[in-house]
Amino acid sequence: MTDYEAIIGLETHIQLNTTTKVFCSCKADSWFAPPNTNICPVCCGLPGVLPVLNKAVVEKAVLLAHAMNAEIRPLSYFDRKNYFYPDLPKGYQISQFDQSLAKGGYLDLPVPASASPDKKAYTRRVSIWKLHIEEDAGKTKTAGNRRFIDFNRCGVPLVEMVTGPDLRTADEAAQYLIRLRQLLRWLGISEADMEKAHLRCDANVSIRVRGETKFNPKTEIKNVNSIDAVRDAIAKEIDRQIREVEAGNRIQAWTLEWDEDSGTLKKMRSKETEADYRYFREPDLLPIRMSEDWKNQILSDFPELPLARRARFIEQYNLPEYDADILTSERKLSDYFENTVRAYGGDPKKVSNWLMNDVLRMINDQGLNPEEMKLTSAALAEILKLVDKGTININTGKSLLQKVQDSGKSPDQIVADEGLGLVSDDGAIRAVCEEVLAESPNEVASYKAGKVTLIGWFVGSVMKKMRGKADASLARQILEELLK
Amino acid sequence: MELCDLTALELTKMLRKKEVSAVEILQSSLDRIAKVDGRPGSLDHTTELTEEDKQKVHAFITRTDEIALIQAQEVDRKISAGEDPGLLAGVPFSVKDIFCVKDTCSTAASKILANFKAPYTATPVERMLQAGAVMVGKVNLDEFTYGSSNESSAFQPSPRNPWKTDRVPGGSSGGSAASVGAGEVPLSLGTDTAGSIRQPAAFCGVVGVKPTYGRVSRYGLIAFASSLDCPGPVARTVSDAAAMLQVIGGADPHDATASPLDMPDYLSTIEDGVKGMRIGLSPDYFRITYPDPKTGDLLSQPLPAEIENAVRSAAEKLAAMGAEIIEDVPMPNTRFGIPAYFVISRVEAASNLHRYDGVKYGLRTQQSFNDLNKMYRFTRNEGFGLQPKLRILMGMYVSAAQYSEQYYRRALRVRTLIRRDFEAVYDPRGKYRLDALLTPTTPTTAFEMAAVYGNSVLMQYADQLTVPANHAGIPGISLPAGFDASGLPIGIQLLGADFTESTLFRIGRAFEKATETESWRQVKPQVLQDF
Ligand SMILES: [Zn+2]
Repeated sequence: MTDYEAIIGLETHIQLNTTTKVFCSCKADSWFAPPNTNICPVCCGLPGVLPVLNKAVVEKAVLLAHAMNAEIRPLSYFDRKNYFYPDLPKGYQISQFDQSLAKGGYLDLPVPASASPDKKAYTRRVSIWKLHIEEDAGKTKTAGNRRFIDFNRCGVPLVEMVTGPDLRTADEAAQYLIRLRQLLRWLGISEADMEKAHLRCDANVSIRVRGETKFNPKTEIKNVNSIDAVRDAIAKEIDRQIREVEAGNRIQAWTLEWDEDSGTLKKMRSKETEADYRYFREPDLLPIRMSEDWKNQILSDFPELPLARRARFIEQYNLPEYDADILTSERKLSDYFENTVRAYGGDPKKVSNWLMNDVLRMINDQGLNPEEMKLTSAALAEILKLVDKGTININTGKSLLQKVQDSGKSPDQIVADEGLGLVSDDGAIRAVCEEVLAESPNEVASYKAGKVTLIGWFVGSVMKKMRGKADASLARQILEELLK
Repeated sequence: MELCDLTALELTKMLRKKEVSAVEILQSSLDRIAKVDGRPGSLDHTTELTEEDKQKVHAFITRTDEIALIQAQEVDRKISAGEDPGLLAGVPFSVKDIFCVKDTCSTAASKILANFKAPYTATPVERMLQAGAVMVGKVNLDEFTYGSSNESSAFQPSPRNPWKTDRVPGGSSGGSAASVGAGEVPLSLGTDTAGSIRQPAAFCGVVGVKPTYGRVSRYGLIAFASSLDCPGPVARTVSDAAAMLQVIGGADPHDATASPLDMPDYLSTIEDGVKGMRIGLSPDYFRITYPDPKTGDLLSQPLPAEIENAVRSAAEKLAAMGAEIIEDVPMPNTRFGIPAYFVISRVEAASNLHRYDGVKYGLRTQQSFNDLNKMYRFTRNEGFGLQPKLRILMGMYVSAAQYSEQYYRRALRVRTLIRRDFEAVYDPRGKYRLDALLTPTTPTTAFEMAAVYGNSVLMQYADQLTVPANHAGIPGISLPAGFDASGLPIGIQLLGADFTESTLFRIGRAFEKATETESWRQVKPQVLQDF
């Protein structure tokens, strides 16, 4: 059978999480607003009104462009993209065309073994062809032969980002979106929630015989609103194209719509001719002049990016890839981890274990923000140190996590208040050990008859009597000595 | 001489001295309108023009007498309470009906917006109101400002020239110039995209200012060609125009293209004279160049001698007052102004007209339609007159992907060349070092009604001497400078470098002083000759 490879490019629209819309002072987020209640003359395109650029949009777009290794143009322009549609109130969309904010760029996408065809992890460089600012249009709902238009979304700031045809599998496409979503949240520029259309994705898919370099006609998949759906839709479309070609048919440049309910692709329209949007410079807006000063100011506290940090965690802290992945999934968690490691000074893997097993569960179950937890990274480090020093045992340490989070008291304080410290006074433990042995003549006899495994039972009994506060290894040592 | 024939500055002075009330001034203005304006423009085109109609000015579409009375009373209250009533307190003014004014119809002289009421007021209008000026109504224009005669208005009868009512008032700010020329109001707010303030000002014997692009906010101005549109004053004297620009100009948080530069105090320097100023004359402004419609070859025709003479005579008077006149200043790209304008303005206009689709506001077709595209088509066909349709067709054509390079992008390059012509002659280290160019405003005086309507190309050549300033973004002012043999006003134009309005006002004021005793200054427009 012929070996085919898929050629996939993704077109994403990213809703920036600014306070206000891109050209007016309406709130950017209308998620909870009834239709047509978050609008004004500017975003509704009334005659005579003019757009005024929200600088925060440019700043967030610059952060993204920088993260994608794109060049930021010192001078970029807005252009009008002209077309008629009822939910486009001006009859044109303000966008950027030939001289957009950013030029070029790429993302080095790690593809994990689990998403790799031969189960070996690899890296795919995905080039960025387009990265520009534009305004969103409204929403149209059809009911019978009537259309209802909600203008709330008009003027919501978007970045359109288009990749080159560099992705080769449906899994790679999904990985790209996972990494993009992570990056957007990491930079704090978008909520990146696909279900809420903060992150939208159209996929261009074609296939060719492996080894060929030419591109065949592609189809465009629209209306996919989850990462899983993007993966499924692309995989199905690749299969369909292979079947068509194998059957001797030509692939036609269709636009396909993903039907979430049935998990199938439906043909929306043929794309014989490219639409002519008659782009020209938007005369109502000045060009964006990105001075070195402004750029430096925007990038002054540019964070280490998740993939770089992931690599560093593996390298610097000797963490397994799995741990590094989880600990860089989210910026605040990642900062929390690293702050704990610094405050603790001990084995980072131990911090990772505590975080991933216990703290992360608390965060997820209780919907906590790592940055605002009462169980601060310093408190966590203190608990770890208490355990290391033998002041408390592991179980007490773990029970302290929630206690600190609930009370806001320091671990030291709680240990002192509740008397949770381990008793390592030889005399006190020896007294309890003697008591236990005196109360258990049968077990002592069995032990002495050779059933030495009973030592665990003796230790447990001592611990029980001391409500867990005894230094278990010391207790064992004393018991063994007494049982000789 | 009645109150409404006085200048805006004279009126405010009398008002502050309590020699007259704002309500009295308003009444004088309303009386004049009642005498000379005739019936307002309306969408009813079936009524034949009567002989009486043909003697009237028809400047207005919408009158706002009630609002005006409240505003005038408020000015009087402030004056009696000792509060500052504002720089233009009590001065009646009209507004070209291309500006949105809250609670009034803002029609753009088009059927498609006939019933549109904006929920906001345009910045320049708002500033006039803040300064105590009293808005008496909205005046007619070419539909969406597309024209040079006002005849393309959907609201008929269209305005007539107060000097001779069988002549057009010019356009597109024809209603503005006619209302000021006929003494209905001392001030009017117009817009200038290719000469739309200066040309009607010249035709109606009044002063018209096209400020530097960005000097006056465009917020609330229904756009024609956004990169060329400039709101500006129409007045009877240079000082009035300067006072009005003082009020309406300046930065605006609602318009990103409005300049943040400080506003100079125009009136404080306006009497400083022209001594030592360098004023240029260019041969390229004494002829009209146009392509042969068949071959496309450029043809050239000198201007009527009367018009050239008016300019040269003005130059002599300015020279006598101490200005240095520089002859033969080359402005070689002037001839390309109109073709480049045709392309750029239509691309922007077609796009600006997209929003009138029957979906949200304005006209929606009453015909039944079964799909969206039909609704668009019927609505736009019924709502737009001929001029918008022509502009949409051409705008769509020249901005299409396959023609854009050949037309639109080329036009933009021409625009840059025109700008360079001006930069070269105003360059303080250049060969000419001009303070201003002195030119005719228009190649002809006011033409007869219906004479060129329909022949859009010829009508557009009326703008050849004014449109370069719009391309370049520089300021220009048209001043009345006498009459031709048939008794029609001749306008002369001053063009300056960016933001040199104060220089143009000084020169204009000096010219006024030099000619104030001349007999033509005493001639009254035809519509005022009976009283
Ligand atoms: Zn808005």
